Amino acid sequence: MEEVKEVAVQNGVALLESVPLFITAAHELKSPLALIRQLALTLEDSSCSAEDRNRVARQIVLTSERALRLTTDLTKTVRLENSLFDLEPLNPVSICEEVAEELQPLYRARGRKLRVSPRSRPLLGLANRDLLRRILLGFADNALHYVSGEAEVVVSARSYNQGEMIRLGVRDYGPALPTKVWRRLESSIGTPVMPLHTRPNSSGLGIYIAGQFAEAMHAEIGAIRHQDGATFYVDISASTQTRLL
Amino acid sequence: MSKRPLVSLIDDDEWLTAQYVRLLESGGFEARSVTHALDGIDAIDRLRPSVIVLDMFMPGPNGMVLLHEIRSHSDLAQIPIILCTNSASDLDPKSIAAYGVRAILDKTTMKPEDVLTKVRALT
Repeated sequence: MEEVKEVAVQNGVALLESVPLFITAAHELKSPLALIRQLALTLEDSSCSAEDRNRVARQIVLTSERALRLTTDLTKTVRLENSLFDLEPLNPVSICEEVAEELQPLYRARGRKLRVSPRSRPLLGLANRDLLRRILLGFADNALHYVSGEAEVVVSARSYNQGEMIRLGVRDYGPALPTKVWRRLESSIGTPVMPLHTRPNSSGLGIYIAGQFAEAMHAEIGAIRHQDGATFYVDISASTQTRLL
Repeated sequence: MSKRPLVSLIDDDEWLTAQYVRLLESGGFEARSVTHALDGIDAIDRLRPSVIVLDMFMPGPNGMVLLHEIRSHSDLAQIPIILCTNSASDLDPKSIAAYGVRAILDKTTMKPEDVLTKVRALT
């Protein structure tokens, strides 16, 4: 697939510098809370079938878990400055598989597909397991909103820079906007296309959190814009132990 | 061909729209939902609904883009629109009325059946 633009995301700081973090966080949390409220109210509807009630109850649980992931990440972000994070050699593909497994229930409930790209050879990277997982969970959670129909989200890990670095990425396939259509819509309202890191309907909070987590473990995040979606990634150093082998 | 009034729902949250569709259909309407604004434009053009229920913030073009698009077509501009959004408190009802918005529902305070009540009032 053609890659049309790659950007380095400077830890997400620029995205939020003009907006207090708590306002952005409140805005981000409003959406799942409003959804939980609406879904909970439908449970009061006597015309709701037992099957519907079970499904809605499950949706409430999954939406709550999304909101809780965000609040946990926010709390962790605030405490990053005073913490030391142990780095350890990790198998990035295993991390990708853990992330995919954790989000499968949410993806299934939304009728979407999430898979891990098959690895060609084992890799080891140096990172903090918890922070790396949280970064990828955030990327994959966000990607859920940009994939539609039969398209899938793919989590992958690969080495580059002659094996010095490991890139873990989440590729989505949306918004599937033909350029011509997008330009027509854009000109109709006279506003520019949003840059990649502030994709439509994104406050940038997820990128900000990912950037903070990456910085805490000496990693970097970034994004590649494709014509039919984007890849958000985190780069970590390859484990020197691997290179010595 | 159904003679029931048709309602188009455009909202990226399919869990929510599934409930609204269920409510509207139990209230005597035919309801169809899409999750992207671009699909919404196609659906409105194809189905010519009696009422449009529109979310503001969606992946890709947002609700404002769709409002501009609908307004630019004289044959679609008369369709009443209900905005159903988390950000109702940030909207100015007077300025948004120029786009054919006849009602605003706040997802943070409304009840699901309010969708049915508002649609009934406009058909």
